[in-house]
Amino acid sequence: MMNTKRLTSLMPTAALVLGTALTGSVLAKGPALEEGHEYMVVANYPNNMHVIDLQTDSLYKSCELPDAFGPGVTQMAPDGKTAYILNNHYEDIYGVNLDNCEVTFHASMSLQKNERTKSIFSFAISADGEELYAVQNPTMLYRDHYRVQPSRLAVYDTGSGLDAKPVRTFPSPRQVTVMQTGEDGTLYMAGAEIYKVDASSGEIDVAIPGRSWERPLYAPPDVLNAWPIQSPSKDFTILYTTARFQDESYDLNTADWIYGFMNVDLETGETQTTDFGPITEIYFSGILSPKDPNIVFGVLNRLAKYDIEKQELIGAAELDHSYYCIAMNHDGSKVYLAGTFNDVAIYDADSLEKLGNIQLPGGDMAISTSQVFIR
Amino acid sequence: MDMTIEGGRTLNTIKTLKPLGGSLLALSVALATQNAQAASDAEAIIQNNCLACHTQEGEQAWSRISHQRKTPEGWLMTIARMQVMHGLQISDEDRRTLVKYLADRQGLAPSETEGARYALERRLNTSESFDSQAFTEMCARCHSGARVKLQRRPASEWEHLVHFHLGQWPTTEFQALARDRDWLELALNEMVPELAQTLPMDSNAWNDWQQQPEAPVAGSWTLAGHMPGKGMFHARMEVEPVSGEDQYALSLNGQYEDGTSLRGDGQAVVYTGYEWRANIEIDGQVMRQVFALQDGQLSGRMFLRDKDEVGADVVAARDVSGKSEILALQPAYIKAGTEAEISIVGTGLKGLPVLGSGVDVVEVISESPDLIRVRARAAKDASGVMVPSVGQAEGGRFAVYDRIDRVKVVPEFAVARIGGNGSSTPRVEARFEAEAWAAGADGQSGTADDYRIGFVPATWSVAPFDAVAEADRDVHFAGRMNSNTGVFTPAAAGPNPERRMMTNNAGNLKVQARVQDGLQTFNAEGQMIVTVQRWNNPPIP
Repeated sequence: MMNTKRLTSLMPTAALVLGTALTGSVLAKGPALEEGHEYMVVANYPNNMHVIDLQTDSLYKSCELPDAFGPGVTQMAPDGKTAYILNNHYEDIYGVNLDNCEVTFHASMSLQKNERTKSIFSFAISADGEELYAVQNPTMLYRDHYRVQPSRLAVYDTGSGLDAKPVRTFPSPRQVTVMQTGEDGTLYMAGAEIYKVDASSGEIDVAIPGRSWERPLYAPPDVLNAWPIQSPSKDFTILYTTARFQDESYDLNTADWIYGFMNVDLETGETQTTDFGPITEIYFSGILSPKDPNIVFGVLNRLAKYDIEKQELIGAAELDHSYYCIAMNHDGSKVYLAGTFNDVAIYDADSLEKLGNIQLPGGDMAISTSQVFIR
Repeated sequence: MDMTIEGGRTLNTIKTLKPLGGSLLALSVALATQNAQAASDAEAIIQNNCLACHTQEGEQAWSRISHQRKTPEGWLMTIARMQVMHGLQISDEDRRTLVKYLADRQGLAPSETEGARYALERRLNTSESFDSQAFTEMCARCHSGARVKLQRRPASEWEHLVHFHLGQWPTTEFQALARDRDWLELALNEMVPELAQTLPMDSNAWNDWQQQPEAPVAGSWTLAGHMPGKGMFHARMEVEPVSGEDQYALSLNGQYEDGTSLRGDGQAVVYTGYEWRANIEIDGQVMRQVFALQDGQLSGRMFLRDKDEVGADVVAARDVSGKSEILALQPAYIKAGTEAEISIVGTGLKGLPVLGSGVDVVEVISESPDLIRVRARAAKDASGVMVPSVGQAEGGRFAVYDRIDRVKVVPEFAVARIGGNGSSTPRVEARFEAEAWAAGADGQSGTADDYRIGFVPATWSVAPFDAVAEADRDVHFAGRMNSNTGVFTPAAAGPNPERRMMTNNAGNLKVQARVQDGLQTFNAEGQMIVTVQRWNNPPIP
């Protein structure tokens, strides 16, 4: 005779599992993206990836992500369909088809047993979308001690599915953070310097000197970089802070404290190192205006706007709370602020007037990267 | 997890050891047997719990474990880390046994903890300063430098520590003061040799310390202390050995200057021959004693275990037949031309109390071997720092002043922390005192003969530290200062919708003390940052 008691006791669990799966698939069935439409993608706790429609400035759909959140660094594939995200405590990169929320790509940064590997914001997609590059920082976890291993650049074929393994690996400098690729295939990586890498041979050059820059009377730059922003103007922009001394006495007390950016034009490969103003406040991220290359925006506790040539702050908006990551739409008319809390704030790029907020389901965006793209 | 070394739950369950024959000899035999038993217990615990990962290297030697020396708190943190990060399963009791075993065999000599005890004593307002800039930027950037200074390792173990740090916290090399340099190269090739040289595994100090005979602990003690926000106290403490290696039962009985009693029972363990750690339950709260036993005295800090900013500096001496010692005078100053009641706290006090030249003892109010209360009168022209005496005993410090020259806020810089409000972390108060100074014989302020008078009553307030603090109304949001006690209670944790940018109740405040000396008013100023919670709060910060 059937043990009815046992069967009954199992039923709630089965129902629960089924229920969860159904909820997931309902969410995943959100509308596909529309060709030519402009969107923004951003992730938040506990495991969401949101797509915002920038025509209507409203939430378009939300996809559920596998595993744990963090840091939520995103990169859009050039086709505007697959969003890649570094998550699961910096240990895994996932590719998500935004049309149907399916995870189509997964690479664990750890390549062998007893290895624990993290990528510190450091991955990028090739200009043709065929390859994914990640700088990985492995540590071997031995029985009673750890050994930090040399950093490596791992190259993945984006078509290798859910158990992707690198097709090539090369030695990499340590301390590499954000990365972007140029139209010509060159991989740029921000570390002690802005490196220029041939991703087929692993050959590394310096594109823009940072720690080793030789700018007379300048201190070496300090660079904080957690947001690999794929800007509409195809600029790879890295903010720095530095001090410029009055003379060879190198007296910090009389030095000017300066904000600037290093930039790679990803279409031409042209580089620049440009001061844009005195340090009066901290910005976590910055972006060059897509419609006026003489304008740079920065954000943390205020949204600030600088005239680069004049090295002058020309406007600043007070914010409701701190925002970490800046983005702009393609015509350069609007600024989108994300990171921290679960609302995206929209500002008019000319007047810096606030245009509104988009509330996101879920929790804190933390240090997730928001990316504006056209499907 | 219970993160005190001895735990708090066994507080009232200690069984007093019953010596076999009642003689001291029998007692010491019993204790020696226990010691051997405790060592073999600890070794068995290591065999059973640690060798899944650690390798046996000899009879009593294991990889990693046997190549480091630490304080009891240091060993506790290591084992707790094994539990939190590496899946070690161990009972609190076994962990206590291990901490004791390791701290005894691989501890630090008293001299090796000098200059870093503030971390053990939970003096979290200490502003650290180190000669080595490399050490400051490499180690003291994220945690106290004291945490490192309280360890000894050979180069190979310091090297393991570097790999552990970067392996466990991979962003270490990406943070400010790391991302601007070749962090791993500097850590391995410059910091490791520096640490191995300055904090070596093998030291004469440790070798010598291990040869020292065990100092007696059991008996009766006199304590003298001072708690900011509450005042001075003195107490007697009875210490009796109980079952377990270097374990004692305590009873404390004393009084604050305001007449409130300080009374409770507890337990103590002596680690490494001198590291006294006790928990005493007083008025339903556990007070922890972190003392060093040296030259027959206990000294250190006694604080609320669960609110460790509330604590007292303490010095204590044990009754020894024929020995007479002055620990403290309470209060330790008198104004010239006035009369005051003064307590002399000590042990074996016997004879005539003398407070110093120009100070007359008008009346002995009460007299016992550990406390003499007198009425004293200072002459109008008396001045300076006296060393009092009682009979043969000389000691303590007694300041006579004609007028206050200046007042300092102590601590000059403090940190309070928002908390509570449903968060996992309680508020952390800041406690201030006004310290009066005299100009000395030359009447010139700021010269070598200036002397400290002591802590004097003050009226307390806070003010915005700068324009930003004023604009953000930090005084209104960050908390409240008690004008009488100098105790600042911070506000609740969490984002505050009433504040600019919904920020939390952090603030940057001036701490102001107003002291009245006759017709003269003195104002002194310190600074207090009211900041966010300390989320990670291990025994050694």
